[in-house]
Amino acid sequence: MIPLVSHLAPLVCAVLLAVTGAGKLFGRQTDRLAANTVLVRVLNDGRRATLALRGVGAIELALAAALFAVPDTVVPGAATALLGVGFTGYLAYARTTAPESSCGCTARAEGPIGAKAFSRAGLVVAGGVLAATADRPWWSEISHRPAAAAAVLALAAVLVTALMADPARVLMPLRRARLRLFGHPLEPATGERVPVAATVELLEHSLAWQAAMPVVRSALLDHWDDEGWRVLHYAGAYTDERGTHPADVLFALDLTLTVDSAPSPAVRVSVIDDMTGEVVPSAVLAPTRTPLPLAT
Amino acid sequence: MSPSQHSESGGRRLDRRRFLTTAAIGGATIVGASALGGLDADAAFAEPMPSLDTAIPAAFAEGRIVAINRNVLDVAGSHGERYLIQLTNATSVWKLRTTTAEAIEVGDGLYARGAAMPDGTIAADAVWVNIVNVYVTIRGIAKDRLHLQHGSAEVVGHIVPDTTTASYLGGALTADLSKTRIGQEAQVLGAWRPADGNIDIARVSLGH
Amino acid sequence: MACGSTSLWAGEATWFCCGNAWGSCGSAGTGACGTCQSSKHMAAWPNLSAACYDITRPDLCGEGMPRRTCGAVMNVKHQCSGATVCVTLADCGPRTKSFCGEATCCNGACRTNRVIDLTPSAFSAIGSLSSGKLPVYIYE
Repeated sequence: MIPLVSHLAPLVCAVLLAVTGAGKLFGRQTDRLAANTVLVRVLNDGRRATLALRGVGAIELALAAALFAVPDTVVPGAATALLGVGFTGYLAYARTTAPESSCGCTARAEGPIGAKAFSRAGLVVAGGVLAATADRPWWSEISHRPAAAAAVLALAAVLVTALMADPARVLMPLRRARLRLFGHPLEPATGERVPVAATVELLEHSLAWQAAMPVVRSALLDHWDDEGWRVLHYAGAYTDERGTHPADVLFALDLTLTVDSAPSPAVRVSVIDDMTGEVVPSAVLAPTRTPLPLAT
Repeated sequence: MSPSQHSESGGRRLDRRRFLTTAAIGGATIVGASALGGLDADAAFAEPMPSLDTAIPAAFAEGRIVAINRNVLDVAGSHGERYLIQLTNATSVWKLRTTTAEAIEVGDGLYARGAAMPDGTIAADAVWVNIVNVYVTIRGIAKDRLHLQHGSAEVVGHIVPDTTTASYLGGALTADLSKTRIGQEAQVLGAWRPADGNIDIARVSLGH
Repeated sequence: MACGSTSLWAGEATWFCCGNAWGSCGSAGTGACGTCQSSKHMAAWPNLSAACYDITRPDLCGEGMPRRTCGAVMNVKHQCSGATVCVTLADCGPRTKSFCGEATCCNGACRTNRVIDLTPSAFSAIGSLSSGKLPVYIYE
């Protein structure tokens, strides 16, 4: 079993390094990824960090080619193991000095360095050591024992995918397919009443809100529906010659309207003195309309 | 609170609503584009309004509630501050939806806006309890929840009947969530659940 | 630096939390500038740095926003009410490109595209957190 694994290790390592190397070398996002790694601080420059990441990608591709073409020689495997050791050291350094940085290992957006990044580097070391001990090319091993080789390769593929891929990304196509097969689990709402949040949104976009906002103090205090109206209740305060008085500010809107159906709704606005219970007629005035310079 | 007290306060609330409705619909000023004539809407926004009581400085508090004593919330700020927040019947309370002070619990997080009082407390105009507003990617959709990716964390967004709404590219808020797609980027505004770190969704704003 | 009155930009403002606080902001940390706190009047700007711009890409929505770096101050004014708050830049955001064309209006006059993210302290000074977004003018 061990010789079989070591004979196939160059192929597995070659595929792994080809994918990550090509991603780093040719990826359009490499500069953005480099910006999140500790390389920026080490090299003191974002552009140099990108170059370094692309350089590592080129080395990975060269190693992949060597592992693929001359799998039964020691050098490519040993170099791969060495690269893995280098990765581990880099991760340990980055984790200690900048725990929030990304590793930049797989040429994809990733979170901070975690156990997975270390496992990946460990896999490269182990794969390299195994590949270095291979004394027979992988293609002759596959033709010699096709079934066993297929099983080992399938296992390796699962292991590599588990370590490389974000589980959510793997699950997403499956979840999409389920939605396509069984339909959207959330039914379209038909003839539903307008949500209160939509009426609040309508109010906040209205001229009435613009006029009344200097009087309003609270956020929405209460709401209720009454004979086709939706009443929105706020707490406020108004000022007259005798001082500032607490008040209830009430807006009544047609409960069937939204910002889509009524961009400029008519709104009934009342300010009621909290102490006397009387409507304050002049509390809501038309706003002063001094045009301010508009941003371009 | 005993059931009889509860129904009594509920009755008072209904009476109050009835009174306010009459005033809101009967004696109201109608404000709308037609009522005030054709405005140049871009020019219609007002100059900054001075605070109504310039003597009372505006105050803001953020943190976790460590104790509730009658109408006062004892809040530990995230950076070592301590706040005492007074709730009055003019304080609005949001916790997933517009609610009352009874819904607030010890352990909840909050943001409060109000006025700083001379005794060091804050008289709150508005408190938002457990409110979060996060940028997410939708990773999965089920009958009662959305699976959301927020940064590198996986969060469950619970769909709450009669409360959760959606807005598609800035359109009006609707209860229709059937146009959500897996892989879509979205902003989720909701109430964080201190017990499990998940979110009850108030609204999900969907982008492209 | 004081908050000025020279027009800079206009668009939608949203809010976000930061500063190792409760809820989902624990993972957000203190933002790209290392100073962000929800309880201070702070903001996130889409062009805080080249790396930030690559994430937010406001240009994809036609918003060629200028570079403003950590510590820059801005006046943010609610388009409908005129309420204004002075904020200091402390993070990168919002993700403008994900919501291209989204509009928020005042009586029919609309501001499109998410151009600034405010901390809860700043946002609540000019609007309600439960509204999520506001149409704003930005001055510096």
